[in-house]
Amino acid sequence: MTDDPVTHHNLTSTLQVDERATTSEAVISFEQAVKDYGPKEIGPVTFSVGRGEIVGFLGPNGSGKSTTIRMLLGLIKPTSGTVRLMQRDPLHDHVRALEQVGYSPELPNLQSFLTPGELLELTAKELGLGRKETDDQLPVLLEDVGLIQYRDYKIAKLSKGMVQRLSVAQALMGTPKVLILDEPMIGIDPAGVVQFRSIFRDFVRDGGTIVMSSHILTEVESLCTSLVVIHSGRILFRGGIQAFIRERLGSRSIVVEIADAPALAGPGSALVDRISSVSGVKRVTPAPAGLLVEVAPDSDPRAEISRLVVESGAKLVGLGHSRSELDEAYISAIRGTPTQ
Amino acid sequence: MRASRVLTFARYEIRRAVARKKVLSLVALTVLISIAPYYALYATHTSLVTPPLRPYLWILGVFLPQAFFLQFTALLIAAGSMSEEYEQGTAEVLLSKPVSRQEYFFGKYLGGYALVVGIVILDVVLSITSATFVFGPQLELGIEPMILLAQVFAALVFYSFAFMVGELMRRSSLSYILSASVFFTSEVVGVFLNILYSLTGTDIYKVANYYLPTSSVDSLPLLLAEPNFPSSVQLVFRFAATPVEPSIGVSALLIAVYFLSAVLIALAYFSRMDVAKRVT
Repeated sequence: MTDDPVTHHNLTSTLQVDERATTSEAVISFEQAVKDYGPKEIGPVTFSVGRGEIVGFLGPNGSGKSTTIRMLLGLIKPTSGTVRLMQRDPLHDHVRALEQVGYSPELPNLQSFLTPGELLELTAKELGLGRKETDDQLPVLLEDVGLIQYRDYKIAKLSKGMVQRLSVAQALMGTPKVLILDEPMIGIDPAGVVQFRSIFRDFVRDGGTIVMSSHILTEVESLCTSLVVIHSGRILFRGGIQAFIRERLGSRSIVVEIADAPALAGPGSALVDRISSVSGVKRVTPAPAGLLVEVAPDSDPRAEISRLVVESGAKLVGLGHSRSELDEAYISAIRGTPTQ
Repeated sequence: MRASRVLTFARYEIRRAVARKKVLSLVALTVLISIAPYYALYATHTSLVTPPLRPYLWILGVFLPQAFFLQFTALLIAAGSMSEEYEQGTAEVLLSKPVSRQEYFFGKYLGGYALVVGIVILDVVLSITSATFVFGPQLELGIEPMILLAQVFAALVFYSFAFMVGELMRRSSLSYILSASVFFTSEVVGVFLNILYSLTGTDIYKVANYYLPTSSVDSLPLLLAEPNFPSSVQLVFRFAATPVEPSIGVSALLIAVYFLSAVLIALAYFSRMDVAKRVT
């Protein structure tokens, strides 16, 4: 990726960093962290993550996601700035900073000569778990990620998706408080994705924190509570998903699904006229399943639209923001221009 | 640094090394080298094996692999120890846990070295067993533990050097090539210097030969063993090598300097450098 200073200027002019957590509450914090690779520089990166968040870490390939994660894990040394994990320096106080942290790397390359059971035992020993704790946790984790029947297979014989599941299992070993997941859903089948979502939500419900990098934006939208967006080594946005969409999109889209839509919500129908007159609505377009309502980014007329549909006698099947909004906002952010 | 974590990585390293076919091949070769010479000598009915020599033939199997095979084994085990973890991307996963780099480093170092020691012990046991089985009861076996210690101590030189190169290069093929090149160059230069000294009698060649890593590695076990055997047995020792170093002390000191330098350089580099992502 080229390191275009003009692009940087444009991007940083729209920078929004929402410090959601104070430094004392933050389990993860970056303060002007820079990694200089010579021809390419990542940073300065400044953001923090508070306890109990599921943060989606977004950015195009080569934007600096992995570098940022690796600085956080103490695997690489920042050229300048500070990085804190569990309020400790992960490079110089590595053992204590990582005591309660699980990490699943992008494209996990696990030891092919081991079995899943042996890998988790190795992880347990690295974590200093006792025999009993290991014996208690190991089968539960393998069961959770759907690998219990493959416990004694060599990892070399597992499929890519199974290795990914195992990578998440080793990250969960030792009941960590923070999970750092680099593309955890890659290669996972739909049933596995559902299983993982449930595992991650349970993890956060129990007081955990997750930072998850992903290119699957629908996954980020359905799972994460907030976002960090990075591009060309700079943080473009830090905050809630809805705030990101509002900031990046000139308008938002609400999909109104109506039974027998062509008859009740066709062009020029009374319902279309009524919805068009709602405050904040810019345009109403008939769609095969109902209506597509474009609204101003700072308004949320969903309740009003819902009332009008019901009053019109139409059967409301569904109503919500378009699923592609995050995609559009993300593309807008990395291009450095707001979408109209 | 916690001993339990060092032990965890040491066991892991043994497991990892054994899973590699080249290490298994080395073990198979050890068995062959330890056993084959005795049966070959027996089968050929050679006049070289006189009755007074027979009770000392165990030293043949113990010393025959010293100059080349044991050093090359140590080198092969160590060269991939660090570098293959980078190549396979497994270093990143192992070091993202609450373990210190020193625990990882020394665990892997000691694990690989334990394997080298195991191969040396296997060679000794098979040599003594084969010699006894083929040529009858063997004598002066009491000296063997000291020889064994000298051999495993001497093996530290090329083991540590290859380990260091593996960490510095972070590419296993480069590490193997570079470590093996230094080893063979040292052997060849040693022979060359020896010839020059024999021809010219100039001390500089002899002194230069002292400082070659292979000289001290080859010399130490021989210097320790030779005084304990009758002069009639010296012929058997000549199969292994001729000691170059002037004394046990010099030899041991040079070995210590070489291996400690390599370990310290590797440790300093590993402690300061980033843990590389998977490289191919």
